[in-house]
Amino acid sequence: MTLAPPTIDSGILEELRAIVGEEDAVLISKSSRLNRARVPAPFPVHRWEEFVPDAVVLPRTVQHVSEIVKLANRTKVPIVPRAGGTGLADGAVPLRGGIVVDVKRMDKIKEVDLANNTVTVGPGINMQTLNRQLVKHGVMFPDDPASYACSLIGGRIGTSGFSLLGSRYGHTRDLVISFEIVLPTGEVIEVGDGGGRKVRKSSTGYHLKHLFMGHQGTLGIVTEATLELVPRAEVEFAAFFLFEDFDTAYRTHRLLACSGLATLAGVMLFDSEKVAYLRRDDEAYIEQPDWVKAVAAASLYGTRAEVEPASKIVMELGRSLGGKYIGDEISSGDWSARHDRYANPLHGRARDGQVVPMSWHCEDAAVPYSELPAVRAKWHAIASRYVEQYEIFDDWGMFAYTNGAHKPWGDVLAEIDMGLWEERLDEAGWQAFISLKREIAQTVLDHGGSMTACHGATRAGDAELVPQEMGGGWDVMMAIKRLLDPNNVMNPGKQSLDRAYE
Amino acid sequence: MAADPRPGRYVQSEQAAPEPRRVSHQVVMRFDHVFEVDPALMARFPQQKMPAWDTKRIVAARWDHLDDVHRQFADGKVLAGEGPEAGDD
Repeated sequence: MTLAPPTIDSGILEELRAIVGEEDAVLISKSSRLNRARVPAPFPVHRWEEFVPDAVVLPRTVQHVSEIVKLANRTKVPIVPRAGGTGLADGAVPLRGGIVVDVKRMDKIKEVDLANNTVTVGPGINMQTLNRQLVKHGVMFPDDPASYACSLIGGRIGTSGFSLLGSRYGHTRDLVISFEIVLPTGEVIEVGDGGGRKVRKSSTGYHLKHLFMGHQGTLGIVTEATLELVPRAEVEFAAFFLFEDFDTAYRTHRLLACSGLATLAGVMLFDSEKVAYLRRDDEAYIEQPDWVKAVAAASLYGTRAEVEPASKIVMELGRSLGGKYIGDEISSGDWSARHDRYANPLHGRARDGQVVPMSWHCEDAAVPYSELPAVRAKWHAIASRYVEQYEIFDDWGMFAYTNGAHKPWGDVLAEIDMGLWEERLDEAGWQAFISLKREIAQTVLDHGGSMTACHGATRAGDAELVPQEMGGGWDVMMAIKRLLDPNNVMNPGKQSLDRAYE
Repeated sequence: MAADPRPGRYVQSEQAAPEPRRVSHQVVMRFDHVFEVDPALMARFPQQKMPAWDTKRIVAARWDHLDDVHRQFADGKVLAGEGPEAGDD
């Protein structure tokens, strides 16, 4: 791929080098820029060069970040924060070139406070790395995305991430007590519920933490976070149940979600298309009998005294409508595999059944439980239409997961996973993908849901629907963006927020 | 594989994977509990040829990883104490 040299002014590069004071902290090489253009989600590879930043800077301190942002604001150069770059929307993808602020060197554990059960970290630390350090203290930070092994705290805050253990421990927004953020004009503020870096509940002022949580890099760059520490669970329990049809699994999902068990970490549901997909190459499902068309599963975390009796209730509820237990070996193994799903995105199938490499698109909607069957049916109908018309798509099925933190009943995170054969992409294919996304997202809005429960509505296909989902709040959102980022330098082009400047 | 490889030696004949046996219409198995996509489905993107030791290394690393994941969030496991239930077919 030919790549134009950076268009950024050489004086700005010199200022960036002076701010950080390290020779290798400002990168302009082709590989450094190309590798920070995309995320794992499907990407318009035929137009890769349009998303390449002009420069990458790797700060170490909040002072570095503040000075970098002030420089960008003064010179009106776009600036895009990037943590792990593992997002499944486009939060970290530069749409207008400019400077990528890569926070991976801000990866220190600054304080472990066992008296108040908090840990304070830089935004560049990974949860698995953090938890390995916390084991010796008998505590953990239980934010558990499918990218657990590779995503970073800064990105979790940027997307307001979803945790597989959210029903038990909460999601990212519940597990981050407060954080420090550099505003688009360079000022540094600390946000929490009210004041107090380690205070979990306050009624003072506006709850600014929630404004900046899920900011998608459009309102600043997080430079430090104070996180919740929970006692390490003594034991975990997972049970998977097999069903002949989706409806029975769906009703069993509700029984489990409404069980009232305090140790319930999550309840999961696979539909028949998902089971068919897993039969291709997932060791847990390849040998399941043909009658298996759906799966419901639950997991528990806590003390042995809590989990052992609760596990018996889960076994009763899972079987109460006819579900068949999958067995200890697969229950335990498949649950652990759920924590790291970034290994599966190559298993696409062309229409003739041949294996082809595909990237993974997962629409991550929040859907009221009662609407799930209708949404599911419409989603697969949409997917089928696109699979039929274009050979670059593959329907990988739907799963649903309890969505509410500490309140597993009610709405679910529902994902339809789609494969996209990037190697075959041209502009017509990319536009078809955007159209597919938009139809899937619109279906969710039509049924009273939210189009994203964990990735963010930052890419084409979702972004243009943000005003519709936000309703009357959209004008307020634009006013906030204009106020905090008067020059639209902070991750411009995302979530339709350019309209705030028209 | 004719016999277990001898440590410290690479002998080509010892590294050949056994002939696959069919598990499902799209999956085969060469080593016990190690599933592989049917090579017939990989005509467009052929499967990489791997020596037996490498397959076993990857499988062992996968199990190590899953064990490690269990330890991330809990010190132990509670199991139902049951195997898979039979269905109607």
